[in-house]
Amino acid sequence: MTTDRRDRILNLLYPVGGGQLDAAHLGQVCVTATGVTGAGLMLMSGEFPRGSVAATDATSTLIEDLQFSLGEGPCIDAYRLDQPVLEPDLANPSIVRWVAFTPPAVEAGARSVFGFPLQVGSVRLGALNLYCDRPMDLTDDQHASALVAAEIAAHALLIMQARAPLGILAAELEASSNFQYVVHQAAGMVSAQLDVSVAQALIRLRGYAFGQGRLLADVARDVVDRRLRFGDGRDPV
Amino acid sequence: MWSIGACASVTGGTRCDTPHSNLAPGAYYSRGGSADPPAAIEPRTTIRKRAQVATRDVVTRTMVELADTLVDDFDVVDLLTLLTDRCVEAFDVEAAGLMLAAPVGGKLQVMASSTSTMRDLELYEIQSSDGPCIECYRTGLAVSDQNLDTTAQRWPLFTPAAKDAGFRSVSAVPMRLRTTTIGALNLFRTSNTRFSASDQAGAQAFADVATIAILQHRAAFDAQALNEQLNHALNSRILIEQAKGRLAERAGIDVNEAFDWFRAYARSHNLRLVDVAQAFLDAQLTSASLKSSSPGR
Repeated sequence: MTTDRRDRILNLLYPVGGGQLDAAHLGQVCVTATGVTGAGLMLMSGEFPRGSVAATDATSTLIEDLQFSLGEGPCIDAYRLDQPVLEPDLANPSIVRWVAFTPPAVEAGARSVFGFPLQVGSVRLGALNLYCDRPMDLTDDQHASALVAAEIAAHALLIMQARAPLGILAAELEASSNFQYVVHQAAGMVSAQLDVSVAQALIRLRGYAFGQGRLLADVARDVVDRRLRFGDGRDPV
Repeated sequence: MWSIGACASVTGGTRCDTPHSNLAPGAYYSRGGSADPPAAIEPRTTIRKRAQVATRDVVTRTMVELADTLVDDFDVVDLLTLLTDRCVEAFDVEAAGLMLAAPVGGKLQVMASSTSTMRDLELYEIQSSDGPCIECYRTGLAVSDQNLDTTAQRWPLFTPAAKDAGFRSVSAVPMRLRTTTIGALNLFRTSNTRFSASDQAGAQAFADVATIAILQHRAAFDAQALNEQLNHALNSRILIEQAKGRLAERAGIDVNEAFDWFRAYARSHNLRLVDVAQAFLDAQLTSASLKSSSPGR
């Protein structure tokens, strides 16, 4: 049964006649395999989200961006807890788990969200995020498919990176990714503005974005484009 | 992680220090204590029966030991040494040796041997590319109980060397998972006693457990290394973005121009971009010195 499922998902990933193995395709395979509305693949390291390598639609993109900005959400919990995290009714959850993440995610159309760790053996890479545009529990079949899809996705991501030269991110990973480079540029700028470390500057940026109810990347863009400055007496925080 | 160099530490000494070759294995391993009569006056059938029970005990115990070894961070050389030692006990052979193909390149290495004579012989097998272990690895098929008086044509180089070392018969089982053969386990006898089909099956079971363990270990190690590689690549990129931002702010330029300054400095000083970025973030390099190498200076 599991072997059939794995074969079916691998056939989606490597269609007859060949096809491009890249992160965007991988995200699409996760959607097809599980029958949900959209999927995203988030890389994490330590406790922090590093960025998204794939998101299949605008809502998935926002789900990934929100988690990156806020440091909370189904992917981040799935990664930290090392187990699937299921929220079948995001608008009316039995326990509110993600105070900041939930309202904008619901507004964007995510009514159920599911996080699955991306893992190879004991190595954790991040999490697979699935969402549906209506409240629903995953069926046993969907749940089993999601587990296998996450396992295959984790392997596939490592295989993509294995082909890249040392120290360089694989092009197949980079193509559809959003590693939020603008946020790191802004952190560098704010570190000079406030004369603090880059890590401290990033905390200030996060705090500001949260206070304004904006995405971290949007605030960062304002800093890089010099529409927003920190530490000149008119400190925005 | 296993390495070629690690072999020396486990193969240096003689491990054949138990007097099993003179005793029925049952006598040596019986748990009956002092009440047991001397083995010599027992009927032969009883000895054989006890030997079989004892062999099963060793096999069971070894399986448990192997399973215990397979924790997160086990040492492959330790595992294989345990395996060859237990083969000697369980199957009443005088020596056991194990070869593994390197994960990259496939070159065979002696990974564990129960005696130093065995080790020399295995090294000779690899050098001369001739012998039961080599054949077993190449074909992926077991070599069952070959009397060395009959193998001069099959292994022209190996046979005389093995006889010189005092061995009379050999067996080998592949370390194989489905279509992948990663090595072979060799069992040698100095007597003409037969290596039974159940001994062969037992040896294969040992080899199977070790094979799965090694393949899983390798896969986990590969994943770990690749994930580190991925994080390293991402960290380098993030560091450069941070440095671009800080330089842009310090020098009053935009981030693209900041990148050009870093790149020009790295080129003219023959440094890696990421190292230049790190030096700037660590305040070991000023924006003034970066500017001095900049394209538009």
